[in-house]
Amino acid sequence: MISIDYSDKSPIYEQVLRKMENLIVNGVLAPDDKMPSVRNLAIELSINPNTIQRAYGELERKGYIYTVKGRGNFVCGSDKWRSTKVEALEKQLIQVLRELKNVNVDGDHIKKIVDECLGGKNNDKNQ
Amino acid sequence: MIKINNVVKNFSDIKAVDGINADISEGSVFGLVGTNGAGKSTLMRMLAGVLKPDSGQIIIDGMSVYENEEVKKQIIYISDEQYFFPNYTADECRAFYAGIYDNYDNELFDELIGKMGLDKRRKVNTFSKGMKKQLSIILGVCAHPKYLLCDETFDGLDPVMRQAVKKLFIAMMEDYNMTPIIASHNLRELEDICEHVGLLHKGGILFNRDLEEMKLNIHKVQCIFKDADGRADFEKNTDIMSTSVRGSMYTYTIRGGVDEIRARLDDIDMIFYELLPLSLEEIFISETEVVGYDIKNIID
Repeated sequence: MISIDYSDKSPIYEQVLRKMENLIVNGVLAPDDKMPSVRNLAIELSINPNTIQRAYGELERKGYIYTVKGRGNFVCGSDKWRSTKVEALEKQLIQVLRELKNVNVDGDHIKKIVDECLGGKNNDKNQ
Repeated sequence: MIKINNVVKNFSDIKAVDGINADISEGSVFGLVGTNGAGKSTLMRMLAGVLKPDSGQIIIDGMSVYENEEVKKQIIYISDEQYFFPNYTADECRAFYAGIYDNYDNELFDELIGKMGLDKRRKVNTFSKGMKKQLSIILGVCAHPKYLLCDETFDGLDPVMRQAVKKLFIAMMEDYNMTPIIASHNLRELEDICEHVGLLHKGGILFNRDLEEMKLNIHKVQCIFKDADGRADFEKNTDIMSTSVRGSMYTYTIRGGVDEIRARLDDIDMIFYELLPLSLEEIFISETEVVGYDIKNIID
């Protein structure tokens, strides 16, 4: 379902969190789908179950999943996590804009890209 | 719960372990890393109740471990050099272990031996080094110990087997509440599986921390300042562990969270900066460098 990038230096729970988030946002995991169990995912990826638990805890805090005692974790509807995701994406956008500014790309050019992007169909679902 | 209270161990005039304090809680994986000769194996042997500390105590679940059968029944120690009785087959080793540990899981033994492709009727002294390691892991795990002490167990196993052993440990943690304590130099490996890491150096413990937290609290920054004032300002107010300069590019290893460091960097007028997380290996190097264990000193 997901894989761990061993050359990525960011903490493993962050990777699990990010990848699961993507799967949910892109609709691979639909609302009310069951998440893989902590035990199975830990064995599949050969990483510590507590690391997975921690990532799931964070997903729950951010409103991506909910827990049913004794039955496992399930995916929430987008109304629960939309605002957190939008906020995170805004931060990323600001970061990119700042970098563009650093390399002296002028504002009009950036605006043109934004207009083109919003006008046309957005096929890039990965990020 | 394992409590290590101010434990000291000397071998004649060699200080192997010098006043270590640490707590190892149940249900997590504890990784023991350290410089060569730091006392990892000595500490392991004391945890296993084989060696007696000169002073201080090792308390496992409220009881002292040395020569205490009740406690030792819950512990399996896989040493870095395994010993097998001469002329024993793998199955005879199992019978020996089953005679010592209550509730020895003979079915699991047969299952794992089969899965790993070992022949239980074969004499152990005809096994290769890696196969002996596999056998000792299987023998240990099948006792369903509460604490599994592994001294450089992953070293000497091939990549497929290492993954298999990790999966096995995880399954045992989930199903039997096993707590593995792993000493290793393979930091990449520990990173996947450990939550707590203790770093030993010269018989003392440098730190004993949650791995993820540790990774979130140490960062590398590469940056180019606009002017010297900005740099002075930055260096004055930041917990810097090490600095290196190449041309106008400054590289710092800094303690602190991402948001905190980012806020500081955004405050200062600079041409460029990049914030990089560190691998456990890099953390190991930075932390031991601070106490003067530095490869540059060795080569120069």
